[in-house]
Amino acid sequence: MTEFHVADADLWAWAENRLSEPAAWSVEAHLDGCAICRSRVPATPGLPPAPLHLPAQGRVRPATRARRIRVLVEAGPQARIAWFSAVAVTVLLTVTLGDRVPHWLLLLVGPALPVLGTAVSYGPRSDPMAELVASTAYGGLRIVLWRTLSVLAVSLPVAAAGGFVSGLGSPAMWLLPCCALTALTLALASFTGPTVSAWVVGGGWFALVTAAHGLPVDATPLLVAPSATPPWLAVTAVGSLIITYRREARR
Amino acid sequence: MTVAVDDVTVRYGRRVVLDGLDLALDTGVHGLLGPNGAGKTTLMRVLATVSVPDSGGVRLLGSAITDEKALRAVRRQLGYLPQTFGFYPRFTVREFVEYLAWLKEMPAAGIPVAVDRALQRVGLLDRADDRMRTLSGGMQRRAGIAQAIVNDPRLLLLDEPTAGLDPEQRVEFRALLRELGVDACVLVSTHLVEDVAAACERVSLVDGGRLVFTGTSAQLAAAGGDGDAGDSAIERGYTAVLRAARA
Repeated sequence: MTEFHVADADLWAWAENRLSEPAAWSVEAHLDGCAICRSRVPATPGLPPAPLHLPAQGRVRPATRARRIRVLVEAGPQARIAWFSAVAVTVLLTVTLGDRVPHWLLLLVGPALPVLGTAVSYGPRSDPMAELVASTAYGGLRIVLWRTLSVLAVSLPVAAAGGFVSGLGSPAMWLLPCCALTALTLALASFTGPTVSAWVVGGGWFALVTAAHGLPVDATPLLVAPSATPPWLAVTAVGSLIITYRREARR
Repeated sequence: MTVAVDDVTVRYGRRVVLDGLDLALDTGVHGLLGPNGAGKTTLMRVLATVSVPDSGGVRLLGSAITDEKALRAVRRQLGYLPQTFGFYPRFTVREFVEYLAWLKEMPAAGIPVAVDRALQRVGLLDRADDRMRTLSGGMQRRAGIAQAIVNDPRLLLLDEPTAGLDPEQRVEFRALLRELGVDACVLVSTHLVEDVAAACERVSLVDGGRLVFTGTSAQLAAAGGDGDAGDSAIERGYTAVLRAARA
């Protein structure tokens, strides 16, 4: 293999038949013996040849579905902050305070976690790339759902753990308000934006918990009692319907 | 027509930002000129499908964008550089462009090569593995241009692309623009009249949310007389057209 390689401009001109005959012969003679330059010949007419000196690729980046999901999820640093703080707060409440923490406080925080996470993981104020993402094919509802899914994946187990520690209702029942509140937040966000919607839904939940239980109670609270299943499912369904119906809403 | 804007109005509260604007663009490099606050960025956002007009029709790439499927089809062929954009601090330059290539639903297998090619075209390939936040403002701008062209868009919208570029880079960028304009419809919003004169075949001038001039750069230059303010013929044409529109 020789040290000499065909210049980008010459290779391009040759690929487009713009070289004089003698020049074309010398390019062809070189291509015969040089695999590097052969690989640089543009496959599509009109495109420039691949650059000769591509820097070493740091690491192999296989274009797989798994990597795509990882980057999509990882792309929300705000989401990570929200997850960590939400998990930290709940763990702190349950572990360090033990029995001294009122159980209704756990009920207040647990199901609201995904609302918090959803609000901070996207939206023009918290997502620095919102403007860029909004113009892409993946923008809009689909990226919101991906991020919500990633938030739910983290916060659902935490909420269930909260339910387990608090002893209020069965832990599985805690997941219902989680899902319902998240659906409601997303539905409302198509009208008001995520920040306002999270405040409204979070505030509503706060009011509901305080109103339903007053201050500390020992009985299984109504909000996570088995009888609350149909209303929560209904809220989730209505929220999902609004999300589907309003999916083209752009602000 | 790649872009057909028909009587588009956009309001922010009571303020009318685009006031019954019409615009038709085809393949080539088009300049979008106008004073600050004329509605350039709002028009760019409408064309980038980020913002929906209050009234009027927008056809992009021959599609009226009536449903989500059509919207996605248009967005796949769209490149957009906003006036200001952010990035995630941990992203390297390559990850930044790669991430947007994914979001644009490019075929996964072609992405690594397309990303490197886009970075090469804006002269950032040697910084590909540096973190975005370590780049200078001009380099971040070039990374923004790279993400806009990574999918070989048929409609490329660049809002103030030369802000922060030094004179040599601006000359290189104009050459890139001319290259891109062969196959795509490129709309460059700027307040720098000389950028338009050097790189754009056609110019549209917006003032007060309306289109007040459209034509070739030479026609804009010819609109000015000796009495108009400006250092070059095209600047004199610009001030003359604005003055006539406001009269």
